[in-house]
Amino acid sequence: MNKNKLYSFILFACFIGYGWLLFSFQHEHQIQNQEFTVCLFKKVTTFPCPSCGTTRSVLQLSHGNLLSAILLNPFGILVALIMLVAPFWISYDLVQKKETFYTIYLKTESILRKRKVAFVLIVLVIANWIWNIKKNL
Amino acid sequence: MESQKVDMFMMANAKFFEGHQLNAIRERLVQMDDDKWPMLQTVQFKDPTTALILSIFAGNLGVDRFYIGDTGMGVGKLLTCGGIYVWTIVDWFLIQGATKEKNMEMFNRAFMF
Repeated sequence: MNKNKLYSFILFACFIGYGWLLFSFQHEHQIQNQEFTVCLFKKVTTFPCPSCGTTRSVLQLSHGNLLSAILLNPFGILVALIMLVAPFWISYDLVQKKETFYTIYLKTESILRKRKVAFVLIVLVIANWIWNIKKNL
Repeated sequence: MESQKVDMFMMANAKFFEGHQLNAIRERLVQMDDDKWPMLQTVQFKDPTTALILSIFAGNLGVDRFYIGDTGMGVGKLLTCGGIYVWTIVDWFLIQGATKEKNMEMFNRAFMF
């Protein structure tokens, strides 16, 4: 994946992400009361996936409720961080004609690929998934 | 490299690459020394069909992207439940091409010299 593809992809993804957030804001009441499910996985299997509740978590963060956000789904914090930081960082790179974001992306990928790191993260994901199911998200 | 060995490799591994790349690969192999043969045999390519099956059954969890080594994208897919399912569906169509590209990169990395 070369730099330009990555940058365009992430900017595009953030754009969609913000669009989705806006949409969720307007329907927040229905989402909180579980009348609204967009996840096909949940409709078919009736139980949540590991990232279930991420949107709700980010919405809570936008209201300033850090604790609710973590309790709903810790992934929300990751997503919020990325969505906040990435557009600025990439713009900085584009303006300054540097590659700092790309370099760090590649470095992170190689760290994540290491057996021990990957194993720990997989365990965390499964733990989060089980927690989601227990919370009946 | 002996053309017999090259043909053997091409027959066994054609499915791992895009059609239009096969010629270039063949040329590269023919020019290579014979002592690269053991190394050639040890390179593990990713199977596009496996990637497609992973994409269909576990696309939401990003397993298909993790399989082909696209860790960053895999994490993104996992965190967003397959991009609210949209990315999942798009990847059903893109994943085989992406696998073949990754295989090409792997081949180039191994035999750049």
